[in-house]
Amino acid sequence: MDFSIRAANVEDCKDIARMILELAEYEKIVDHVKITQKDLEQDGFSKNPFFHGIVAEVPEQHRTKDGHTKIGYALYFYSYRSWSGRAIYMEDLYVMPEFRGKGIGKALMSKVAQLGLAAGCGQLNFTVLDWNKSSLDFYLNQGCTDVTTDMGYHYMSCKGEALEHLAQP
Amino acid sequence: MANFILRKAKPNDVPDILRLIKELAKFEEMEEKVLLTEKDLLEDGFGDHPFYHCLVAEVPKEQSSEGNTVIAFAMYYFTYDPWIGKLLYLEDFFVMQEFRGLGIGSQILKVLSETAVKTRCSGMHFIVAENNTKSIEFYKRRGAADLSSEEGWRLYEIEKEDLLKMTSK
Repeated sequence: MDFSIRAANVEDCKDIARMILELAEYEKIVDHVKITQKDLEQDGFSKNPFFHGIVAEVPEQHRTKDGHTKIGYALYFYSYRSWSGRAIYMEDLYVMPEFRGKGIGKALMSKVAQLGLAAGCGQLNFTVLDWNKSSLDFYLNQGCTDVTTDMGYHYMSCKGEALEHLAQP
Repeated sequence: MANFILRKAKPNDVPDILRLIKELAKFEEMEEKVLLTEKDLLEDGFGDHPFYHCLVAEVPKEQSSEGNTVIAFAMYYFTYDPWIGKLLYLEDFFVMQEFRGLGIGSQILKVLSETAVKTRCSGMHFIVAENNTKSIEFYKRRGAADLSSEEGWRLYEIEKEDLLKMTSK
């Protein structure tokens, strides 16, 4: 199938917001999504963006029954590892179900890797849910290692009330 | 009781930051994994587009047995969760052994959470090794949730060699 990958622009936020919800549904946690299209526009496309995006597009003749040609995306940002320096963190990687198995996911991830290497990054990091077998298989095929299993690193979060409480004098 | 101040790191703190990164890595039994140099830290933290921010804790010279006045640090940066927005990511957090139990770590965490709240972050994320029970208790007492245990998130990484392979496919 013919497809193209390009940098996301502010007009893509509507489709990105749609696909974020689709990915959350796949991960069975839709009610966790608080971000709106407007937040994405502000946080990703202002002077100091908090994230960057790439979008996978298909030609008009392959559009979905709802008329979408933007059928996959990846969100990433630059991070820093105190041992090895610059790193790139892939926050989301998603391809709509009917477009899977055609190399689009691989192409999106490869693009994130390219962007990371171009920026001097030595590592690409991301998280995966332990039950997501098809994604786990895909990533292991790309040469990834499970740092949680291998090194016992647990991903922790302090948010909402806990964060506010922590900030109290 | 230690008399200390917390402040933003400056370029001339870079040698101390690297020293403390190595001490933390030694504590985690991974000292040989530290590849960063002072030059990297200077360019990546104090150039036009910093990849990280740093807080340091300083004590008066006469309080330190080895003459170091910078005795603790926290390295952090901003990340993005497409479900809840901006996050503060705590990459490294370390207080030298002889200065622990004096409230310095708590104070650093408090200032970081204030920064997170002020910059409208939805949460603070970080990684802890599962065998580091003391640190896990420290964080859980402050309301942190273990997303690896509770939600099944596993942290993955791809190193440079495999990134290069991915981009050439």
